[in-house]
This record gives sequence, structure tokens and C-alpha cells, in this order.
Amino acid sequence: MDSYMILTNNPLAARKLEGRRTVCYISVPYEELLREAEKKICQGHRLLSHPLSGSVKPKETPYKSIMLSGKKEEVDPQSVRMIEAAIQTCEKFTDRQKSYGQEVYEDFQLIDWTLLESAMESADVW
Amino acid sequence: MSKIKVVHYINQFFANIGGEEKADYPAEIRVGEVVGPGLAFNMNFKDEAEIIATIVCGDSYFNENLEKAKADILAMVKEQAPDVFIAGPAFNAGRYGVACGTIAAAVQEELGIPAVTGMYVENPGADMFKDQVYMISTKNSAAGMRAAVGKMAPLALKLARGEKIGASCEEGYMPNGVRVNFFEKERGSKRAVNMLLKKLADKPFETEYPMPSFDKVAPNPAVKDLAHAKIALVTSGGIVPKGNPDHIESSSASHYGEYDIAGVMDLTAETYETAHGGYDPVYANEDADRVLPVDVLRDMEKEGKIGELHHLFYTTTGNGTAVASAKAFADEFSQKLKADGVDAVILTST
Amino acid sequence: MRLEMGHIYIKDIQFADESKIQDGVLYVAKEELEKTALEDEKIKGVSFDIARPGESVRITPVKDVIEPRVKVEGRGGVFPGVISKVDTVGSGKTYALKGMAVVTAGRIVGFQEGIIDMTGPGAQYTPFSQTLNLVMVCEPVDDIKQHDYEKAVRFAGFRVAAYIGELARSLTPDETKVYETCTIKEGLEKYPELPRVAYVQMLQSQGLLHDTYVYGVDAKKIVPTILSPTEIMDGAIVSGNCVSACDKNPTYVHQNNPVVHDLFEEHGKTLNFVCQIITNENVYLADKQRSSDWTAKLCKMLDLDGVIVSQEGFGNPDTDLIMNCKKIEAEGVKTVIITDEYAGRDGKSQSLADADAAADAVVTGGNANEVIILPKLDKVIGTLDYVTKIAGASEETLREDGSLEVELQVITGATNETGFNKLSAR
Repeated sequence: MDSYMILTNNPLAARKLEGRRTVCYISVPYEELLREAEKKICQGHRLLSHPLSGSVKPKETPYKSIMLSGKKEEVDPQSVRMIEAAIQTCEKFTDRQKSYGQEVYEDFQLIDWTLLESAMESADVW
Repeated sequence: MSKIKVVHYINQFFANIGGEEKADYPAEIRVGEVVGPGLAFNMNFKDEAEIIATIVCGDSYFNENLEKAKADILAMVKEQAPDVFIAGPAFNAGRYGVACGTIAAAVQEELGIPAVTGMYVENPGADMFKDQVYMISTKNSAAGMRAAVGKMAPLALKLARGEKIGASCEEGYMPNGVRVNFFEKERGSKRAVNMLLKKLADKPFETEYPMPSFDKVAPNPAVKDLAHAKIALVTSGGIVPKGNPDHIESSSASHYGEYDIAGVMDLTAETYETAHGGYDPVYANEDADRVLPVDVLRDMEKEGKIGELHHLFYTTTGNGTAVASAKAFADEFSQKLKADGVDAVILTST
Repeated sequence: MRLEMGHIYIKDIQFADESKIQDGVLYVAKEELEKTALEDEKIKGVSFDIARPGESVRITPVKDVIEPRVKVEGRGGVFPGVISKVDTVGSGKTYALKGMAVVTAGRIVGFQEGIIDMTGPGAQYTPFSQTLNLVMVCEPVDDIKQHDYEKAVRFAGFRVAAYIGELARSLTPDETKVYETCTIKEGLEKYPELPRVAYVQMLQSQGLLHDTYVYGVDAKKIVPTILSPTEIMDGAIVSGNCVSACDKNPTYVHQNNPVVHDLFEEHGKTLNFVCQIITNENVYLADKQRSSDWTAKLCKMLDLDGVIVSQEGFGNPDTDLIMNCKKIEAEGVKTVIITDEYAGRDGKSQSLADADAAADAVVTGGNANEVIILPKLDKVIGTLDYVTKIAGASEETLREDGSLEVELQVITGATNETGFNKLSAR
């Protein structure tokens, strides 16, 4: 299995993976992060984890971490389809992230991290 | 409490004026009159609502004088200021259905008066307007009048009162792309078991959520020997011989045209034009090759890149044309193309 | 496998000095319940409350809902691999306390949803407005990690449910139902004419607060496998899933899985209910491919004619649902899927994050984005802290008169995807 990279806007994930994995951390809103993933997919990276992982709704949680293949290959149509559907899905949700307390943001970061961790556990078997 | 005021729209046929020969009857309003199906509506309304005026318009008149007819009728409706507007039902009458859909949607959109219409699901007006205005699904002939009125009248009253409108299957309107919750009689798992039993027995069943339809057509294998292939041109861009001899409609086409281009090397402003009403026609009229590339294919024919250009092309306007109609056209001319030994088709759109 | 389910109807719950069930009334001694809950040193304190149908009570944030049961005959005990040893369950005799539930509530993470209204417009959307609810709110020790807190509350709920179930051991059930499945060969001989049908259940398995356990095994670590549908009635599958209140399956739904029950209704009459197939909904895409391949393979190997596939959750599982459906259909096995929709507040958006023409038979639990106004109720068990922040589009979710403007998705069980409810959409 090729190495992978993590595209994330979750500072906790970025911190935890620093120096251990290829991490692309960008501080952007959820939907923007999906669009970043779309760009990478169009450059030939493949989606390795589901862009809508987790039951916390897009825009309710501000955080998202996505696993992509490290190597660029031919554009993978399935990845394109999946990221497009995810962006479309994201658009229909109402933005709710306004006035959470700090601890709520931390919980959101933790949940996103555990979702990513579960994908990494599967990926690292290889 | 005062009665809900209704204005009702019908065509020349249901107003007992006449059939096709009277279809050019211009729009008129009959204030205080209840005509044809209006009687059934009034009965159904009991004492809660009444038709205060009936608008009658010939189907040809409406469709051929679309802008004027629409404006005139809107003015009539505005003057009456009803609480709700009802058009039809139109059953399977195509132009009547399109008229009902057009005017009901316009009344709702431009006057802010809620409207309801009704027609058969295969009426071209259904595809065009079911997402814009509540449209009761009716039988395909006037024999279904009672059932149609039985659903249209209560829905009209609800709309007039500003009540919450239930799901399509509860109210009888055609699914309009808006998902509405409601409580079924049985729980979901039981419904799933029943659906599976039907599916297993090859009996008809109805899905509760039709998947967004992507009518995917698997591509044919590539043409191996283009140099000997017979290529035909087909377009939904409305290219027709100058003067539009078969009167292909500028929108919601009811038919397609078949034209011979044997010996035609280039489409010119003098010889061809577009019938399409959905895009700026200037550039197509200047040079119809821009939509139907006869000139280029003639070049390729000369250069030996293709075997030959088929001497007939097929054309219609895609603008607002019902998917069902478009399918029917293609079903027909595809057979002709096959019979003529055409190997491949270039399909252009706008 | 043959399981006899004895139903004991509970008409009321009361706190008392001694725990017992008498004349359909469950009496519980608070100290006993507390002792049971506090067996785990990670829990510092616990409070119990009772919410009855029709009362002006709102329970939130709900974590899990559990039906108390006790195994009176046959192998194993309830919640195998969790409370009891891992013996294979699903045969013998089990009693269930019907009409009641143990509800665990409390704030494990700051954004937890899950509302049960016992009265008013919200009550018609949650199945747990109809049960007598013994609600427990656990307080963790200081500085506990969310993982540990979730696990502690999960286990405390099962312990309390098992403790209450135990009170029924020597009772005579009000009603007994027998559920029996055949082995493959028996089924072929007994019902040669009937279509062979299975239930494919997708289990939430994405990470913390998104997990499901099968005999104590984290479902994201399983490959698809088969169960006798009677096993779930003894608690073989339990919930560790606290997110997406409307379409997550609380343990109660696993125990009373409606697809299993409705397929048993037809078993031997119009179909042969062969087995239950469980699969997961992992985050890693290769896991999805493996699991859906395997599910389809099992369907083929079992010579099935038809399956019902149920989903759990939103977004990511839509992909598993469609993959399962497509691959199972491709094996020539007819498929009906159960899902719910996120069609936006106006109902106009695409309902699912994935779609395929093979999914031509869909049952829906309704649009979870639909907005509802929940009036102020007299009493709140738990806390409204989070719901008031997230539920509406505006900060005025908590409206002046104390009512809440929320989407159905915050209501526990509202759009359940095992078909637990009557709610649907068109």
C-alpha cells in the first residue's frame, strides 16, 4: 500500500500527527476543506477515507480530516464522484457553529480525530 | 366567514364551444359564471368556496399567442383577486395541459395567488410544470373527472387557507421534488417486508424514494473504420430549412423534422435557420453549420476521413420539450437511421 | 435456533425500599440502582428519575435506551461479551420487561443531541415517549477522558438494565412468543417453495461515539458474518453510538429490531427467514469495499432470493448502503433498502450522499432536516445546554416563550433506519 497523507483543518489531528505522517493542515471552514480535497483528487490523489465520515453533521462540526493517497496517479473517477457528492451534501446543511464554548470545539476536534484514527488503524495494517 | 373565492380556467372544449376547429378561441372571462367542470368543483366545495369567474381560452390560441394570452389572463385573474386559482383538469390533452401549467404557474409566481391544476402524468404539461405548481395526477381521459375534482378541490381549499400541504401521496399531487414528511399506516420495517415480497413475486411496487434519475446510456463501442462509415447528423438545436416548413415549435416541440441535405455543402443564412426559442438565434441564423456542422462533415467526406454524410438529418427543439416526447421522437427516427445503414450519429445540442 | 420470548408488561415504575415487580409495577430501590451503577470507579455519582408517557418531561441529551431482559433458560446471559460471558445466545428462554426502558442521559461530549419528549408534538416522533423511562444521569470522576466516560456510562446502563431484568426471573410472562430459525438444510426441506430471505444490518462503526459492539467486539473490526436473528433478542448487539440521535440505533432498537420481528411474522408463510447478516460502516474506503464484497458473497453463498438492508447514520453510511445494494443486486438477489433522508429544511435537496439505479426499492424514515417546534415542557431531565445552541438556524432557537425550533434530527429515534417508526416522506 502506498503511503498516505492527511488533509485536515483539525488542529488536534495536526498536532498528533506532526512528524509522524504527511499532514497538510489548513485552517479553513469544513466546506473549503472538502474543496481542497477535490483539488488534490483532480491532481491525481485518491480518496482513502470517506469525506463525510462521522455522524456529526457538516457545518455543525467545523472539523474534517481526510486521508488521501500520497502518490499522484491517473484521476480516480470514484474519488471525484464521492468528493463531489460530499460537497453537495455539505451545502444543504445550515451553518450552526457560532457560539460554542471552547470545550465543545475541543470535543469536536477529538471526535474528528477518532474518526481519522479508525481509518488509520485500517490503513496501517498494510 | 365569507366563502373562499375561486377563479377557474378551462379550454374551449370543456366550455362546450367546440373541439379542434374552435381551438383558436381567444381568452375571455365570464364573471359570475360556472362552466363545465366548474359545476363539479362547486359541488365539491360545498359551502366553503365558490367559483366567482371562469376564464375560457382555446388551446391553439393560448399556445400560439403565448405572451399575449398569458398577460390577458393574468390581468383577468388579478381583477377578480381570488383566494385560489384552478386550471383544468386537462387529462391527456397536451396543449391544454401546457396551457394549464403555464397559466397556473404564472398566476402563482406573478400574482402571488396559490394555484392548482391537474392532468395525466404523461401530458407534456406535467413534466414542464409539476415542480412549479401543485398538479393533481389524473386519469388520461375526462372519465376521470370525478376523481380529479375530488382531489383538486380539497387541495385548492387548503392552499387558499394557507394550511400545511401534506406529502404527494396523501394529497394526490405529482411528486414535485420537495420531500414532505408524513406518518404511514405501517412501520417502515413492515413496509420493507411488503415491498420485498412484491419485488420477489415480480409484482409492481412503489419505492418511497426514487433515486435521482441519471438516464445513463452506455456508450457504443468506438467506430472502427471511420473512413468507410456512414455518419448522420441529429440535433435538438432546432436547425430547419428556412421558413420552418413543418412548424416545429420554438419550445415544447410536439414533433421532429426530417430534411434532405443531399448535395448541400454548406448551410447558409439564406437556406437554413433555427426554430429554437431557448437561445439567442442570431449566430445560428447567420450560419446554421454552427449548430449542425454540415460544412465540416462535407470536408471530412472529401478528405476521406469519413465514408459519407447521410443525406437526411433529424431535428427538433430541445427547449422545454418533455423527456417523454424526446424519447418517442428518437425511438422513431433511430429505426429509420438503422434501416438506412447509418453507422454513427453526431448529436448536437445547444 | 429456537428462542421463547416471555413478555412481562410493566404498567408503572415507582421508587421503593425494595426492588421487585408486582402486579405489573416495577418497584426499584434507588440505593440498589446506585450501587449497581457505581460499581465502576469512573462514575462518581448517579441520579435516577422516572418519566412516564404523557408527562410534561423532556429528557436530553439521551445516550442510550435499553430494555431490561433476563435469560431464564438456555446458553449464556443477556448482553453476551459485555455483561455476561461470551456464550452464544439466542436459544432457550428469555423474559423482557415490555413497556419500559432504561434511558442513560448526560453530557459525554459538549455537542450531544438526543431529545425524548414525553408529551406534545415531539412525542409523536420518538418511540420512547411511549415507554415508561427509568432515566439515569451519570456523573464521571474528574478529568476523565471522553472514551472512558462513554464506556463507563454504556456499561452502567447495561448493568442497571440487567439488574432490573433479573427481578423478572421467577415471574410468569403475560405473553410468550416463539422465534425459530432453521438450519440451511432444514429450511430447504421445510419450505422448498418459499423465497429465501435474509436481513442485512449495517452497524455504525466509525470511531468514538460512533461504535457498535457484537458480543463485545467492536464492529469496525469484524468482517461481515451471519447471526441467528434470535441472538439479538438476548442483546448480542449493543450500541456505543451517541451521535445522530434521529437515526442511530439505541440498544433497545437492536433488542427489538423491527426488521427481524416483521420477517419472523412472515417466516414459514410467505418467506423463509434464513438469517441475519451483519456488516459495518467504516471510515476507510478499502474496508467498505471488503465489507460490501463480503456481504454480497454471503448472500450468494446462502442462495438467497431477497434481502432487506438497513442503514445506521448519515453521510458515510450512504456509500456503504449503495455499495451493498448494488453488489447484492448484481448477485441476482432482490434488495429493499431502508434509509432516512437529509433533504434540507425545505425538502428540496438531494436526500442521500450516494445513489444508484440498482436501489429501486427504498423505504424511508423521513426527512431529518424537517423543522419542528417543541414547546417548553415543565421538567427537563439532563440539560438543554447544547440543544439550545445548535438546533435551529438562528441563535434564537430557544425562543422567547421557552419553545425550541429544531430539526427532527435531534429527536431520539425520529427517522430510525431499521423501520422502527411510521414516519416516512414523499
